[in-house]
Amino acid sequence: MKDMIVQGLAQSYQQVVRTFAELLPRLAVMVIIIIIGFVIALLLKRIFRWILSLTKLDRLSEQSGASHALRSAALPSTTEFLSRVLFWIVWVGFILLGISALGIAQWQEQISHIFQLLPQILIAILILFVGLLAANFFSRAVLLASVNAGFRSPRLWSACVRFVIWILAISMALEQIGLARRTVTTAFSIVFGALMLALAIAFGLGGKELARQTLERYLGDKRREREKEEEPSPL
Amino acid sequence: MPEDVLLDDDFLRQLMNVGEVDILVGVPSHNNAKTIARTMEAIESSFQRNFWRERGVIVNVDAGSRDGTAQLAMEAHAAPRDGERGLNSLRTVHRIATHHGNGAFPGAAFRTIMAAADLARAKACAIISPDSGNVTSESVANLLHPIHRDGFDFVAPLYRRSRFDGLLARNVLYPFYRAAFGYGIRELHSGEFGFSGRLAAVCLAEDGGRDALRAWPEGWIATSAVSSQMRCCQAFLGARPPAPAVSGTDVVAAIRGAIDGLFCLLESRQSLWMPRTTAEPVQALGPDHDIAPDSPRINRKRILDMFRSGVSELRPVLQSILAPQTLAEIERLAPEADPQFRFPDEVWVKSLYELAGSYHRSVISRDHMIQAFVPLYRGRIYSFLLRHQESSAEEIEADSESLCLAFERLKPYLLDRWTAKS
Repeated sequence: MKDMIVQGLAQSYQQVVRTFAELLPRLAVMVIIIIIGFVIALLLKRIFRWILSLTKLDRLSEQSGASHALRSAALPSTTEFLSRVLFWIVWVGFILLGISALGIAQWQEQISHIFQLLPQILIAILILFVGLLAANFFSRAVLLASVNAGFRSPRLWSACVRFVIWILAISMALEQIGLARRTVTTAFSIVFGALMLALAIAFGLGGKELARQTLERYLGDKRREREKEEEPSPL
Repeated sequence: MPEDVLLDDDFLRQLMNVGEVDILVGVPSHNNAKTIARTMEAIESSFQRNFWRERGVIVNVDAGSRDGTAQLAMEAHAAPRDGERGLNSLRTVHRIATHHGNGAFPGAAFRTIMAAADLARAKACAIISPDSGNVTSESVANLLHPIHRDGFDFVAPLYRRSRFDGLLARNVLYPFYRAAFGYGIRELHSGEFGFSGRLAAVCLAEDGGRDALRAWPEGWIATSAVSSQMRCCQAFLGARPPAPAVSGTDVVAAIRGAIDGLFCLLESRQSLWMPRTTAEPVQALGPDHDIAPDSPRINRKRILDMFRSGVSELRPVLQSILAPQTLAEIERLAPEADPQFRFPDEVWVKSLYELAGSYHRSVISRDHMIQAFVPLYRGRIYSFLLRHQESSAEEIEADSESLCLAFERLKPYLLDRWTAKS
């Protein structure tokens, strides 16, 4: 009995030692891969930052208002932000590669799934960034046009435009990474449709007078003439 | 003539048939069927009465009108004056035409006219706008005589205007141009001016400044004259019909075009205006600040409301354009009671100089910056309307001069903002 216990323990010990001996080189490989990945990611980050600085992306981002939005969210400049995103994507890729080098069968499949997703994630981030640029630019354009045309609630119009572009960008990004495709498309359709319906109802009921005036303005010349008599000619 | 000024074969053939001329008048047109015939008649009449020994040509450059403007321009002829018989001129008044683009920018038409003047070796030239609505044979002669007779190279127009007409020119373009470039030319946005063949050749030979030419052709040509040490003057052309009051959309469009033109010119001529420290008057032939008694009906309350709402709603945009002190000052002005409302010269000048600096550095979209400036313009205009409801021409002129001096005094601030890194 005693011998059996000792033999069992010895076998277990040998098994652990053998497994550990087999795992140790793989662990070393994983650490090396992660370290090399870190260096490569760092290099790529610097190269990417240099390329972006040549394209003057920060200026474009500043002009469109995206930098302001990033600053409000306590994020760095556009160039720095995108460089950091690239760094993390590359390094996470190497970390996953390192983990797969351990040779644990159960993890292999999951890691290959994540690997397939990485380019999609990168594209999704780019879509979100372009959405941020477009949302800021167009919402500001609407704000300026509404203020200068004397519309009421210009910030509301501007916020609506920003919201719609953001919803569109987010749904496109989620669609890109294949996350609940049907749900996202349906949700977008519902939100967009509801927004339009709400606007139509608000304009039709709440803004009956405004709707009448707008139609008259387009159809009636007299009203248009009267509206023209407003400001002195600048030139 | 530079290669980029492309004249079509038909137009070149017409020019060759005309041969060399002494005077040339260009008429850029775009859907001006109502006024083009009167304009062409006035020019032809001016040739017959004032330049009857000179060889002359009228050049119509049409930007793709759809109302038959080009055809009307070629068909209109001056009727003989009462009591006049027989020959009015010793020369045939030639009339030639070409077209460019479809509603293209006026700079392209001006360049075509200059190229024609250069090829025809014209000595005295003028550009007359059919939009102005007050072209007479005397006004055409007043633009051409200083060049033909007195040897000037650039002649800007002067008009008798309604007191509230041209407030952008009075409050921004004239004082800004005078402070920056050192030449007090009052009217550089009317579409009418005179120039010598020599100046046409200089302008055509110039490289760069394409944006400025597109955005503000008159400013570009006047500045070419100034930079080439050519002689400039201003000539009185008579009364300009009072412009009807316009809608808010028209105001925004006019300001966008004018301010963009001014700033484009500043960018393309930095080496000319930056070192300049003094301003000199430009000789005026005739009264230079005449005011007509009539003024259009204006909705003043709406102008003030739009200034106030603009300042509060556009705060985040204005923050990126103006210095914090200037913005604070403007925000302090906004709620002021109606009769006491004043937009001080210094705040106005500083806000414009800060706008110029921000435009130069493109801190946000340039078009957005200019649009954000419109409410401030409305505030300034409201202040002007309140102050000069009953003012005489001299009082308005004194006010205008004091604004010009504020622009000149604060020019170092413009340089500071223009050269600032952020």
